[in-house]
Amino acid sequence: MSHQLPAILFLLPLFAAISMPVVCLKHRQWSYSISVAVLAAMVLVSILNLHNVIHHGEIRYVFSGWTAPLGIEWVADGLASVILVLVSVLGFLGVVFTGSTSPKDLGGRIIHYYTLILLLVSALTGIVFAGDLFNLFVFLEVAAISSYALIGVAGGRALFAAFRYLILGTLGASLYLLGVSYLYAVTGTLNMSDMVDKLPFLLSSKAVVGGLIFMFIGLGIKMALVPFHSWLPDAYTHAPESISPILASLVTKVAILAWIRIVYWVFNASIVINDIPILLLVSVLGTLAAVIGGGLALAQGNLKRLFAYGGISHIGIILIGISQGNQTGFAGGVFYLLNDAVMQAGLFFLAGMAFYHYGIRTIDDLGRLGKHSPWLTGSLIVMALGMIGLPPTGGFFGKWYIILGALESGNYVSVAAVLLSTLLTLAYFVKLFEALFRQPATQLNVQSGDIPFSFKLTLGITSAAIIILGLFSAPIVQLLLDHAMPPGL
Amino acid sequence: MIRPHDSIIIQTLGRFIIPVVQIFGLYVLFFGQYGPGGGFVGGVILGTGMILSVLIFGHDASRSQYARNILHADGVGMLIYAGVGGLCMIGGGEFLNYADLEIPGLETASRRSLGIVLTQIGVALDVAVTAVSIVFSLSAEEIMENSIDG
Repeated sequence: MSHQLPAILFLLPLFAAISMPVVCLKHRQWSYSISVAVLAAMVLVSILNLHNVIHHGEIRYVFSGWTAPLGIEWVADGLASVILVLVSVLGFLGVVFTGSTSPKDLGGRIIHYYTLILLLVSALTGIVFAGDLFNLFVFLEVAAISSYALIGVAGGRALFAAFRYLILGTLGASLYLLGVSYLYAVTGTLNMSDMVDKLPFLLSSKAVVGGLIFMFIGLGIKMALVPFHSWLPDAYTHAPESISPILASLVTKVAILAWIRIVYWVFNASIVINDIPILLLVSVLGTLAAVIGGGLALAQGNLKRLFAYGGISHIGIILIGISQGNQTGFAGGVFYLLNDAVMQAGLFFLAGMAFYHYGIRTIDDLGRLGKHSPWLTGSLIVMALGMIGLPPTGGFFGKWYIILGALESGNYVSVAAVLLSTLLTLAYFVKLFEALFRQPATQLNVQSGDIPFSFKLTLGITSAAIIILGLFSAPIVQLLLDHAMPPGL
Repeated sequence: MIRPHDSIIIQTLGRFIIPVVQIFGLYVLFFGQYGPGGGFVGGVILGTGMILSVLIFGHDASRSQYARNILHADGVGMLIYAGVGGLCMIGGGEFLNYADLEIPGLETASRRSLGIVLTQIGVALDVAVTAVSIVFSLSAEEIMENSIDG
């Protein structure tokens, strides 16, 4: 039975999503409970799957029994299983948070809203598990289309942001597909493990290099790497409060995972270190992203926009980690990816709660809170510690390993960029706290009553997770080093 | 909002053509096992038949009333597909490995045959309903709203 787990993980949210319109036809309020139950089950199955992969090695699952180069393959190795635990936990928290914040005027469309969330989660699962380049494209598109629709649900300016995301996202997907077709033309296969055997003899071909560059630019748009990041702040700012956490924490991170797969698993580590210097390009762009994202964040007044730019700068830090070409940097990058996903989810939960419970959208309004908000202030302090990267949190250890990796490969510019972006992060959080603790002219006339349980649960779990990831950083990084390293690194 | 077409010629011809189109759709769907055809093409032809009937007899015609409720059936088609896959998994094989389709009293060959027919029916339903719902949502927004709310 255990070999079925990867397929079950993907089919659980997919089954639930497609049966939702039929099951909830008469009782539309069921859709929330069904989504929560399905994602809770998915959390359990993903942990089981991780346990199974660690103890019995990777699982290669072929759909409908056709074996690898011809059939469609699912690869559940250490890296995929770790990321999948992250995806299911954050998807679960995101849906729990959705309960009290979903847009009120949806009416009957609430069923389709939950269908889209579940479809998004199943597509992300597909990207993580996909064993061939074309299926990866298919799931990238499914995830992207669900996110366009979810962002546009709020109407008004969100529609404009969603349309802009649609144009850029489609461009990214097309470039990725173009890259895949180059590689397919040269190697004659789409299966990743099959391509590994064929590529080393074809490195003189310009199509291979061109394909790799196209795929990088395509995925760069999807992960909002700095020259291509312009869609992200608008989209996440105007998206419904309940949707931003899922999108911000998962979609860009999973695009990074897809890039890691291509650069380290399809191409071998020795190829990208010695023959095609793509890692240098990634490292330079990561450096730019880390600094420019932090600098732009400093200039923002809107809470969600500030956090979105913070996320853009952290994408750069993750890329610096994975592009160092050594084990320490890679493990640090992946560990920082886990942390950053949790922190982004937490920050957007916080921004959503600030808006829904206190009606606050901008940094200046924060001052009006006064002493009325222990939950918001407390979790904001923990998340700030994590984002800046101070010791008991996971953010510190992630940056620590990334800097160690960069030093190991003698890449001092990257070290400077990580430190500079840390300073910038410190600066914008100082600005936030300055606004929070300033004696305000007008107190908020606090109406609010109790904070809903779902807010407490999501904020509590993400804040605790930031600390726990820090306290258990040694075993987690060890696990990554033992089970999630690319071959030949 | 699509009104019934007022030409008697088109209405009469429609009564003849639509059944033929739909029977041809079913033929293509089931012939997919032995030759060109299959779920997607069959579904497109079935969907075309439904769209034709909506265009000729309009939204309000009693003949096409069922088409509004059937809009929810895109989930049903996928459920048939996923259900067949799930039965294969219960039988111990991979998802959609028809050799392990858990239906007692069948040879392996007929399991494969039955499995592929069932999944193709699911695909055809899905494609047909999607085609119709695109036409509906392009033609009249309020009808989409009502059908979902109802």
